[in-house]
Amino acid sequence: MKMEDMPLSGPDNTRLEALAHDIYSELVEDACLGLCFEVHRAVKQGYFFLDETDQESMKEFEIVDQPGVDIFGQVYNQWKNKECECPNCKRLIAASRFAPHLEKCLGMGRNSSRIANRRLASSNNMSKSESDQEDNDDLNDNDWSYGAEKKTKKRKSDKSQNSPRRSKSLKHKNGELGSGVGAESYKYNYNTGISYETLGPDEVRSLLTTYCVFLQQCGVISEHTKKMCTRSQRCPQHTDEQRRAVRLFLLGPSAPTLPDADAVETDSFDIPDPQPLMSRLQWEDSDISPTDSASSKASTNHSDSRKPKKKKKPSLPLNSGGGGSGSGSLAGGGGSSSQSNISISTKKKRPKLSAPPISSIYDDLA
Amino acid sequence: MCQDYIYDKEMEQIAKEEQRKAWKMQASVTTFVCPCKCVPGIGEKYSTWEPTKRELELLRHNPKRRRITSNCTIGLRGLINLGNTCFMNCIVQALTHTPLLRDFFLSDRHKCEMQSNSCLVCEMSQLFQEFYSGHRSPHIPFRLLHLVWTHARHLAGYEQQDAHEFLIAALDVLHRHCKDDNGKKANNPNHCNCIIDQIFTGGLQSDVTCQACHGVSTTIDPFWDISLDLPGSSTPFWPLSPGGDGSALNGESHTTGATALTDCLRRFTRPEHLGSSAKIKCSGCHSYQESTKQLTMKKLPIVACFHLKRFEHSAKLRRKITTYVSFPLELDMTPFMASSKESRMNGQYQQTVDPFNNDNKYSLFAVVNHQGTLESGHYTTFIRQHKDQWFKCDDAIITKASIKDVLDSEGYLLFYHKQFLEYE
Repeated sequence: MKMEDMPLSGPDNTRLEALAHDIYSELVEDACLGLCFEVHRAVKQGYFFLDETDQESMKEFEIVDQPGVDIFGQVYNQWKNKECECPNCKRLIAASRFAPHLEKCLGMGRNSSRIANRRLASSNNMSKSESDQEDNDDLNDNDWSYGAEKKTKKRKSDKSQNSPRRSKSLKHKNGELGSGVGAESYKYNYNTGISYETLGPDEVRSLLTTYCVFLQQCGVISEHTKKMCTRSQRCPQHTDEQRRAVRLFLLGPSAPTLPDADAVETDSFDIPDPQPLMSRLQWEDSDISPTDSASSKASTNHSDSRKPKKKKKPSLPLNSGGGGSGSGSLAGGGGSSSQSNISISTKKKRPKLSAPPISSIYDDLA
Repeated sequence: MCQDYIYDKEMEQIAKEEQRKAWKMQASVTTFVCPCKCVPGIGEKYSTWEPTKRELELLRHNPKRRRITSNCTIGLRGLINLGNTCFMNCIVQALTHTPLLRDFFLSDRHKCEMQSNSCLVCEMSQLFQEFYSGHRSPHIPFRLLHLVWTHARHLAGYEQQDAHEFLIAALDVLHRHCKDDNGKKANNPNHCNCIIDQIFTGGLQSDVTCQACHGVSTTIDPFWDISLDLPGSSTPFWPLSPGGDGSALNGESHTTGATALTDCLRRFTRPEHLGSSAKIKCSGCHSYQESTKQLTMKKLPIVACFHLKRFEHSAKLRRKITTYVSFPLELDMTPFMASSKESRMNGQYQQTVDPFNNDNKYSLFAVVNHQGTLESGHYTTFIRQHKDQWFKCDDAIITKASIKDVLDSEGYLLFYHKQFLEYE
């Protein structure tokens, strides 16, 4: 029915209706034709078949609504063993312990600086047992390996078994962090050295390259225990070649070379005159104590008396590996000469000078 | 000859090219603020996907096609708790089920200009890929955590944290990283056109009326969420209007029955006497006068997030307020708009709801709940998928939930989505 055919003299109602009808039919036509064209195009261009779906594989993705299982039909709580790789240290961490790990790894969070200070101080002492205690404390909060989960809540028993030298002055960690994971203490036991895997990249760097040679370790990784040798640079068990190789391995081709005699505080590698050495050792001894603040104070003193060295960042001239990220830096666990060995022994025994490195402590070392 | 319609490839190509040019020209002149289609300067005219010959071949050889129906699990995925990170998981669930955000990321609209790997928007994009991958095992959001901690240092630390704080921090970082999508670094919050601003940013109007000369000074501040006080805190909740007992206004219920979200909103937008200790210098009468302040919504965001202030940190005490607040599935924000202020001041609260005005109608799509105490608790989320199906997300466990479960829950963060979207 066309508009032109309608008599103008007809009642308005009819005309209005006709108009409305026209519009309506146009709309319907549009809609239908639209759909028709779409389908036509799909057939012509050859993609009409895409509308069909595979019923069976769709069934796999149906929502399940039953008690005891989630929507995928899986039982709750089966995801305990998930792991992920830390973007910072590239280690594999248990997923449920990732957050506390990351906190320490990035050096954020409330306890990271305290832990770093402790480590610094304890390695300054070069007291193996001391650092055992303190590091143990810290390691108990760590979750660097997925085996750690099995060791929860075993701190006390582990400690007592593994190191008879533990003193009661062990600091108690915050409950919220301490209840976790733990005892990597086995890694420190009867020390065959430091397991380089448990150290952050910055700690490794500082262990191996601390400018202050007095603190520098041999660092050679033992074949059978896979741990770094904590003796001095003059450790008789390993050669300079090996020391150079381990630095290359761990720090890359830009690793600084082993310091030569110039960098060393003492000029000779022979056992020096005992007198000045003794006085120096005694100074160290008195300043360093197991408590936190004293340790950090001591470490500062220590570095003041030698070449100035920043506590946290290994921003030393020899360091070419790039800056440290905030995980704190160990000042190095070993010494550069046999004097260091002596100072270790000062902690627990009277200082003894002997030509070979003190064998009493290092008997158990690999 | 066959009298059928044909589709000539060359013609179509020419037509498409010309259309695209025309669109681009038009886009650079006017400003469309539609989040799905084009952003001024960039963006292309949206055209439905048509497979190429090669794609057709591939599809023919691989007939196992799945369509996402309403009974499909695709789009849902659990999240592993990385150690007290349920606050992060619940916000991630809410964001991944925000329809506009999902559309933005699944259509690959983020063009990253950041050099390093530390763009949070890229990580969000990756997150969406993970959610729609069809994997059934829960996802481990460790990269997301690392990125958020790197960019929002104040949140870093292994301890329980507040979901609301995380939401704001995450939106802030996303907004900062999103600026690059515009091709210009718009630092001006009023002119930023990133997807976060388009979806989440609203405008809050604050009117200060001088009691002496009745001059009104107005400021508009952007907001991402509305924090609402609850009854049961140390600041009194009722009466909602100054001086009145509440019953003078139509439709107000005074402590009968549960508090409703609308009650909280009314309280939020009520005119407040600032008192003689807080006199404002009035620019109209040039003197310090007592004044009344009122907050209303100037511009509503597409996604409105309501934060019920359940954690009281006043000088006297720190506790969690567990008062039940009922919230609706559909919410009409018209009475709280700046434009409705006059009718409210005249005592007429319940205006006739205009059925044709759909601008301010919102529907609920995510609810974040907290169980436990101030010091230690657990967050879970209810999210809506496929129109009316609700799911409970408890870290790695996703289960189906009923609407009743959702509405009966305590509610801490409520996410509402505009029902009808319009082009500006």
